[in-house]
Amino acid sequence: MTSVPDEDVMLQVHDGEVHMLGVLFDRYQAPLFNFYSKMTQDRTVSEDLVQEVFLRILRYRQTYRPGTTFRTWMYQIARNTRLDQVRKVRPESPLATEPIASTNTGDAAVRQQETQLLQRALMQLPEDKREILVLSRFQELKYEEIARLLGCETGAVKVRVHRALQQLRETYTALESNPSAQSQPQAPSQSSRRATTDSVPPTRRVQ
Amino acid sequence: MSKLTCEQMEQLLPDYFQSALSSAQSAEIEQHCEHCATCAQDVVMWKQLAMLPEEAPSAESRQRFDAMLHAYSATAAETALAQSKAQQSRPIATGAKPSWNFIEWLRSPFGAVAWSAALLLIGLFAGTQVSNRTKPAQSDELASLHAEVTSMRQLVALSMLQQQSASERLQGVSWSTREGHLDPQVQTALLRTLRDDGSVDVRLAALDALSRHAGQPQVRKGVLEALQQQQSPLVQVALIDQLTEWRDPDVAQRLRTLEQTPNLNPAVKQRAEWALAKLQESTQ
Repeated sequence: MTSVPDEDVMLQVHDGEVHMLGVLFDRYQAPLFNFYSKMTQDRTVSEDLVQEVFLRILRYRQTYRPGTTFRTWMYQIARNTRLDQVRKVRPESPLATEPIASTNTGDAAVRQQETQLLQRALMQLPEDKREILVLSRFQELKYEEIARLLGCETGAVKVRVHRALQQLRETYTALESNPSAQSQPQAPSQSSRRATTDSVPPTRRVQ
Repeated sequence: MSKLTCEQMEQLLPDYFQSALSSAQSAEIEQHCEHCATCAQDVVMWKQLAMLPEEAPSAESRQRFDAMLHAYSATAAETALAQSKAQQSRPIATGAKPSWNFIEWLRSPFGAVAWSAALLLIGLFAGTQVSNRTKPAQSDELASLHAEVTSMRQLVALSMLQQQSASERLQGVSWSTREGHLDPQVQTALLRTLRDDGSVDVRLAALDALSRHAGQPQVRKGVLEALQQQQSPLVQVALIDQLTEWRDPDVAQRLRTLEQTPNLNPAVKQRAEWALAKLQESTQ
């Protein structure tokens, strides 16, 4: 059985069948939750953000235009929601950097340590670099979709992905050689500014 | 098979990561990596990212969503009912004649805007005529034009906020945000919208617009007062969130009063408790 496309479901929501939003929630709450948990390393914040995204979809449903890919539109809302959250809670509280005591031994312990190191390295990246890696690596977004999301060329996205990966590797290597290094909370950089594509519903205003 | 350079690799690696290359190209990349540690490390790093675990949201997440959707639908239904009642009672309440009347139209918000636009055009025309003769400083002209545009925008915002259709009132709220400065009249209108508007969406949008002017004591006071009068759980929750964010000194007391309200929506009660805990946390 083929499922109804996201766009058709969203159009029903747009036309007042708000209960249909449940279908989209079931499809996307896990990917969105993972997007946020990798961006924030905080489960509670991530769950709050997912709820906020769906509330915004509901409130701004009238601004959804037929022909827009729902997933791209949703990620635009998700990014703006995250940027608003960053603005509210800044300065971001640094993450706990002590390694969690582990009862595992051998390979499992090594793997766990590596994962923690990787998480710390990812969190030390500037917001926009972390975001582009999470979007391309974990959210299964094609470079073309990311380009539409960020409002730039596909080629530019590829370059940015590669640069972000290189910086991640450098940070990871530095942490590996000096695991007690204090991580610096990163403020969002200029390039992670709010998306401004026409079809994006604004976060703090109504068009 | 030709050997790839690191520069070429830079172009190809991102596509390789997303498995968008042909098998021949992929083989070339792998061959390059056998001899180039830097590029190989990039590939390893990309693969290593897979170690980060896929996490599942908690079971309560869906419940919260359902509660939100329920609150939203319930409020929308109430609003529709209230509107249909208001429409039934309007002719008796106001005693207005339903027929179209030119004087009535001139007094209506759209009429007012049309009037003002006409006056503005006449003014501009007269202004150009005069300036052609006297040539006053251009900056003065620009300044006065800017002032006129600003007041026109305010006028449009004010008139649209009084329209029958919710989407027009939403646009009115949007017009009110086009000026960085909040005109006292627009401020009063937005606060009235927040308090009394029939549509939840319009009330929420008004709150969004007002939240940008936290520095103005009148705005804070008005938002605080709206909490007491608000019936829709969704707007109540949004108001609680906003007031908590502002850390208004009076908010704790108001929240305690709100909690005492009989038949208070459980979600609102819960949010109020959360806000009180958060406020206490921040004062410690």
